[in-house]
Amino acid sequence: MASYFARRLLLMIPTFIGVTVIVFGITRLVPGGPVEKELMAIQSALAGGEGGAGTTMVGTELITDKLRKQLEQSFYLDKPFYEAYLLWLGDVVRLDLGESFATKEPVWTRIKERFPISLTFGLTGFILSYLICIPLGIAKALRHAGVFDLATSIVVFVGYSIPGWAIGLLLLVFLAGDKYWDVFPLGGTHSDTFASLPGLAQLIEDPDVVVDANGELVREKMSLAARFLDRTYYMILPIFCYMMGSFATLTILTKNSLLDNLSQDYVRTAFAKGLAPMRVIFLHTLRNSLIPLATGLGHALSVLMAGSLLIEQIFNIPGIGLLGYNALVGFDFTVVMGVLAINTVLLMFGNVFSDMLYALIDPRIRFE
Amino acid sequence: MERDENAAKNPDGAAGDRAPLLSVRDLATYFRVEGGVAKAVDGISFDVMPGEVLGIVGESGSGKSVASLSILRLIPDPPGHIARGEIRYGGRDLLKLSYQEMRSIRGNEIAMIFQEPMTALNPVFTIGFQLIETLRQHHPQMSKQEAFERAVLRLEQVKIPDAAKRMRDHPHQFSGGMRQRVMIAMALCCNPQLLIADEPTTALDVTTQAQIMELMLTLRARREGGSIILITHDLAVVAETCRRVIVMYGGKIQEVGTVDQIFSSPRHPYTIGLLESLPSAQRGKDRLHTIPGNVPYIMDLPTGCKFCTRCEKVIDRCHQEEPELHQLKNGQLVRCHLVEDEAVKVSGDMPSTTTSAPAP
Ligand SMILES: Nc1ncnc2c1ncn2[C@@H]1O[C@H](COP(=O)(O)OP(=O)(O)OP(=O)(O)O)[C@@H](O)[C@H]1O
Ligand SMILES: [Mg+2]
Repeated sequence: MASYFARRLLLMIPTFIGVTVIVFGITRLVPGGPVEKELMAIQSALAGGEGGAGTTMVGTELITDKLRKQLEQSFYLDKPFYEAYLLWLGDVVRLDLGESFATKEPVWTRIKERFPISLTFGLTGFILSYLICIPLGIAKALRHAGVFDLATSIVVFVGYSIPGWAIGLLLLVFLAGDKYWDVFPLGGTHSDTFASLPGLAQLIEDPDVVVDANGELVREKMSLAARFLDRTYYMILPIFCYMMGSFATLTILTKNSLLDNLSQDYVRTAFAKGLAPMRVIFLHTLRNSLIPLATGLGHALSVLMAGSLLIEQIFNIPGIGLLGYNALVGFDFTVVMGVLAINTVLLMFGNVFSDMLYALIDPRIRFE
Repeated sequence: MERDENAAKNPDGAAGDRAPLLSVRDLATYFRVEGGVAKAVDGISFDVMPGEVLGIVGESGSGKSVASLSILRLIPDPPGHIARGEIRYGGRDLLKLSYQEMRSIRGNEIAMIFQEPMTALNPVFTIGFQLIETLRQHHPQMSKQEAFERAVLRLEQVKIPDAAKRMRDHPHQFSGGMRQRVMIAMALCCNPQLLIADEPTTALDVTTQAQIMELMLTLRARREGGSIILITHDLAVVAETCRRVIVMYGGKIQEVGTVDQIFSSPRHPYTIGLLESLPSAQRGKDRLHTIPGNVPYIMDLPTGCKFCTRCEKVIDRCHQEEPELHQLKNGQLVRCHLVEDEAVKVSGDMPSTTTSAPAP
């Protein structure tokens, strides 16, 4: 067992190399690139600034040549592909992800400031969906084919057939902004002004204390409760959209798995022993029913932490998904590779974690 | 009654004047199925005497399992329900008990062993957990330590080597025969008065079958007055272990008698057919005889005698009118028009050791 997981962990190395080498190759192949983009920006700035007066074309070229060298070095663009990749890999092993082309900050810093946001949204969505879907699946199984089961099935499948971002747009149109009901904020992760705080937070905070001279909200002065309320207020709609994707699958999986197990022989044995129905259902049957759910757990967790690009875009949440997307369209390849490296590692650990959980719940599973 | 005097000589027979441990009267269990109501058990009556091993035989689908599950009220509802009847145990009607009262009987006073040892234990819990759980369910005051020791003792009694160590193993670490031993240990752990064994050895190989049967019988013998209802396809097993046999077909009792009566003078054509299909030394030269045709699907059972579609001695009357249960002079009960001349119809008020007629 231990040796199996040791092997799984070792296997992560070639997997990681495989994934990153492909994307690294793509960044080399795409036309244009960070250097061209940067130089273009500088050239137009120079041309605008000088007004064509003193500096000659030769001078500009000299500067751009120097700059190009500098820029190229930062992503090893001056080296052949394999050498550059190995150098990048060496940096990653030393936990150095390089510098962002766009902002010149270390990539680590950019990921680190985004990561807690994606993690909060991902984890909350993940925990909430398990907290809701498992009991809902159980309730549906116990009332199989009843009114409750059918009614929730309709809701679940309607939700399933609409993509999360479309629901997000709908929710924004109807529940945010002032077109219909102005209940939720349009986007972001927290309030900047006192007026945009949720009602309850406005009640417990004194505007004279938490608002500075410029009329801006000073979050440090707010109480923990108010800050929590504020965050929650901004999270409700996006979290709802995050959950929609896995909601139907999780609920129906729980229901079917439980139904399937309820008709097993061991359930009859448990009843024949005189056990209470609660114990039979929630201990004997549920434990078996959760086995298929555990397989998806680690995977779901890592996917959620990686953030959802479209939902982050719609709700203007500065998470990892959005960071990666913006880096990609902006040719900021160091950031692209950094985000990729982190996501790959997360996904791989998530899968191993799933397997461990699987082995933990189901004693018949023994990895050799 | 004379047959009880005979029976008293039988080592595992019951004394005739003792009250039955369990008496089932006119029990009917129906299932709602596509196209109507499946009368899986339709008005059966029988007694189980203290200390008795009672056999129930019949082909697949005759209603044996449904009858035994009904006793513990384990019929899945929906689609099934117990439509009528009475199951008297210890002066009470089990069908009238509250759910809580019924639970205190299950596994404690009446325990059950099922056909499929491979799936009857919960795969995710250790067998120790499953044994101790049963004990503590019915003896809440018992300490964990005490329950553990008792469970180990039971495992030792069913001859599981290294019992204390194996308490920590999961069901998949045991072979089929070993699992059935665990099931027996679990069924017997609270010292039940009545053990219902529903084809306990069908899924096992022949040598294991014999060992398991022997175990069940010896363990029961340790408890005075403990009875067994043994459900089986296997008439040979019945011959070795039971005193009385009930032959079921189509959800009804077709014949009841002592093992001697059933084997030496079977009267119902169905029983005769079952016996003829037994491979036996005496009939070695003949080809193995089988009952013609298959058991009809429960919804397709005929209106008259349930067996008339396959019976070799069928007469016109059989198709129109279902025979009542009749008692022969020797006490044997038969549901067949052909014995009616020499027997008396059994009324609702039955002698305690026999079966009664079904309600209309
Ligand atoms: N859950 C159920 N739903 C519908 N019909 C059922 C159900 N359980 C049993 N039956 C019906 O009841 C009848 C009797 O079944 P039962 O299991 O008692 O037969 P059996 O004599 O035990 O057969 P076997 O020897 O195969 O175990 C069968 O015809 C079956 O179709
Ligand atoms: Mg059966």
